[in-house]
Amino acid sequence: MIALLGPEIAWYLGVAAFLFATGAFGVLLRRNPLIVLLSLEIMLNGANLALIGFARNLGDGKGQIFALTVMAVAASEVVVGLGLVVALNRKRITLDVDLLNTLRG
Amino acid sequence: MVAGAWICLVAPLAAACLITLGGQRLSRRAAGWVATAACFVAFGGAVASFVGLLTHSASDRQFVSTAWTWITGGSYQSGLSVLIDPLSTFMMLIVAGVGALIVWYSIGYMDGDDEERRYFAYMSLFVFSMLLLVQAGNLLLLLAGWGMVGLSSYLLIGYWHQRPSAIAAAKKAFVMNAIGDATMALAFFLLIQKGNSLEFGVLGGQFSSTVANLIALGLLGGAVAKSAQIPLHTWLPDAMEGPTPVSALIHAATMVTAGVYLIVRTHAIFEQAPKVADLAAGLGAATLLMAGLIALVQVDIKRVIAYSTMSQIGYMFLGAGIGSYPNAMFHLMTHAFFKALLFMTAGIVIHALVDEQDIRKMGGLRQFAPKTYWAFLIGSLALVGIFPFAGFFSKDSILAAAMAKGGAYGYILWAVGLAGTFLTGLYTFRLLFLVFWGEPSAFVREHFHPLGRDVVAFSLAIPVGVLAVLSIVGGWIQFSPWWHPVETWLQIVAAPIVSPASWQEWTSIALSLLLGLSGIAVAWALYGERRLAVPRVAWAQRTLEHKFYFDEAYDALFYEPAVYLAKLLRRGVEQPLIAESGQDLGDDTRDLGGFVARAQTGLVRTYALAIASSVAVLAIVFVIVR
Amino acid sequence: MLVASAGNVLVWMVWIVAAFACLGSGVAVVSFSNPFYSALALIGNLGSLAVLYLLLSAEFVAAAQVLVYAGAVMVMFLFVIAYIGPRSESPWAGGPSWQAVGAVLASGAVFIEIVVAVGLKAGGQLSHSEHVDGTFGTPAYIGRLFLTDHLLAFEITSIVLLVAAIGGVILGAHSRRSVDEVPSL
Repeated sequence: MIALLGPEIAWYLGVAAFLFATGAFGVLLRRNPLIVLLSLEIMLNGANLALIGFARNLGDGKGQIFALTVMAVAASEVVVGLGLVVALNRKRITLDVDLLNTLRG
Repeated sequence: MVAGAWICLVAPLAAACLITLGGQRLSRRAAGWVATAACFVAFGGAVASFVGLLTHSASDRQFVSTAWTWITGGSYQSGLSVLIDPLSTFMMLIVAGVGALIVWYSIGYMDGDDEERRYFAYMSLFVFSMLLLVQAGNLLLLLAGWGMVGLSSYLLIGYWHQRPSAIAAAKKAFVMNAIGDATMALAFFLLIQKGNSLEFGVLGGQFSSTVANLIALGLLGGAVAKSAQIPLHTWLPDAMEGPTPVSALIHAATMVTAGVYLIVRTHAIFEQAPKVADLAAGLGAATLLMAGLIALVQVDIKRVIAYSTMSQIGYMFLGAGIGSYPNAMFHLMTHAFFKALLFMTAGIVIHALVDEQDIRKMGGLRQFAPKTYWAFLIGSLALVGIFPFAGFFSKDSILAAAMAKGGAYGYILWAVGLAGTFLTGLYTFRLLFLVFWGEPSAFVREHFHPLGRDVVAFSLAIPVGVLAVLSIVGGWIQFSPWWHPVETWLQIVAAPIVSPASWQEWTSIALSLLLGLSGIAVAWALYGERRLAVPRVAWAQRTLEHKFYFDEAYDALFYEPAVYLAKLLRRGVEQPLIAESGQDLGDDTRDLGGFVARAQTGLVRTYALAIASSVAVLAIVFVIVR
Repeated sequence: MLVASAGNVLVWMVWIVAAFACLGSGVAVVSFSNPFYSALALIGNLGSLAVLYLLLSAEFVAAAQVLVYAGAVMVMFLFVIAYIGPRSESPWAGGPSWQAVGAVLASGAVFIEIVVAVGLKAGGQLSHSEHVDGTFGTPAYIGRLFLTDHLLAFEITSIVLLVAAIGGVILGAHSRRSVDEVPSL
């Protein structure tokens, strides 16, 4: 049985939290939808890291399963998001989320 | 006897249903015959009831026949019952008899009208309603008949519904009758509360003075409205918009006398409320005087006769108010004869002059229609009360009873009644002289067309003839000083509370005869062969022509404020609150939505910020709570 | 904390490098104006994360991260960025004035709250980690879990991927209708 070497889980979780917050910051701040999507990926990765960290902490494989599922979902979401961006670009619409407000009430 | 009464009641209803359901399958003339036949069958039934009653001894003449229990509510119960007693058979004979004659007359009068079937259906309905009223075994059924005669009156006044004046007159009649219905209903509510019953017997129970007065007042209100006495009289002259037979039947012989019948039927409560009875007599006296005065200036032949009706019913009210019930009913009977006669002859005149009703255009018809003239003369003499015609016997007894009542009030009523006799002579013969005497006017020469010898003419002539005969001999049935079978017949139901002495009778007879003849004489002087010039008093003329300004007063007192209130409510309440609130509701909702919609910026970043902020807040909450 | 051993020190050093690389590339992703640079930074981020996963005995996940995430997803990103063309935009410019302030505040609040929440709730647990055997995190281990305990997650994941694939095809397909028929955004 192997013990955990190196920093304790808390450090990993701190990194994960910082990644999550950074990704959130990017989503809220940037106007280019592509960069918004990238920031979203950062957030998801932060969550993944937290999941893997807890999995190791508890010795339970569920966290890793969850992380893999999250990865699959992230991939799907990127597909759809990029598809939208490509469609927008084809219609010659400016790629600026501040201008994409046709759904306003 | 019981079967006779039920047949009497149901026959006209069957006729009305038959004519209504028959529709176009029945020819117009056939509808008329159906209605007439039904009314004669009803008369037969009335005779059967009458004869049946005769076979019983005097004290045993009250039979109630109940078809089924109509309404039950707690301890209160009302049946669909028919009362056979002297008073009701008396009225049944009058209503069915005169009604049958008038419906027969209508076949000729309404010949050629497009909607004859509707007319005869309505007439049958009316006869049924009036019979229901007089045969009702309890007050509730009486009220049902009461309302239905009001309805029939409305339908028949507005029969020629393309005329706006007819529609207005029908509405006016109905509304004023409705006021009377309302007061009667209030009286009935009191009766139910205090006596728990609407049978006729409950009226004899003990009530406190206030309650008795209120009940009597309510009943009087209904009677006043139905019989067109002051103050609810303004509908009767306008009701002349209906066809002449309608005026004859409803507004002369039967419906307007229902008020008198009501007072006589419910005399027990009026005896408990003597002030209200005095009020009834006073209203009758005032009406008879006022109507007589107004009749002096009317130029429409039917309106003169209408005011005459109003005046004569004033006599009946006077009689009923002072407690001389059999005399009032007797006058009702003779009045039915000669008033219907007058209306029917007037109808013949109107028909002969292509529906012209203005007497100023008439004159000298005596030469063109002699038989009509004789009939009219008979009716007029009966109306004024000249011996030996019918009115002589009945009217004078009422005056004698007023004298017998005594006291200042009694003598005032007597004096008013005598003055009315003079006026009656004056206006009646004014009408006769203007229409029938003198040189034939240009209009008459041009437009008069005589009746032929066909069915129409017979149906016009024979009922007139029958009524003329009745107007001559009908009064002989009772001559108060010497023989009085009518009084004997009715007194077990409504015993008179005044009995005039013999000298009072003769005095009244002499004075009224004198005044009547002098009225005729003055009329002859003014309007007959030698026309005297009469100084015109402008304001008096105007007042009379405006019918003492009653219509204007009611307009100002009731109609204008109501219209003002309605407009005010519309402007202040309905418009902003109800009509616009729907609009405002929509507008406000939309504004609210717009306000909320400002949160929907359409920007992804805003939404993301919102999510992030909510997460931040909720995280704190969860940490604290958990 | 300090279990003195050579392995431990090595792990610490690797961890520090990987962690800082991770954080730095994360900040870089949201800071660059050019989306191409942001994408490249993200690749770096993914790589450093893979290293962290290895330190956490999650070998399969690390491999999947590199192959799927960095290998496929990022390649797709780069294709699209190249297709769209050069676009540069300053991070702080544009948008409602309160947006930047709000973004800073919100993300800061999120970070603090995560730390606090986890610290409060799971603080005691985090001081000691379980000992795991050598099979932890191996593909066989993951595979067994996926096909036995978490079969539902497996199937649902496959459905999600299918839907995404279809969606991608639809979104990216050339429409045969004329430009006029399609309402503009």
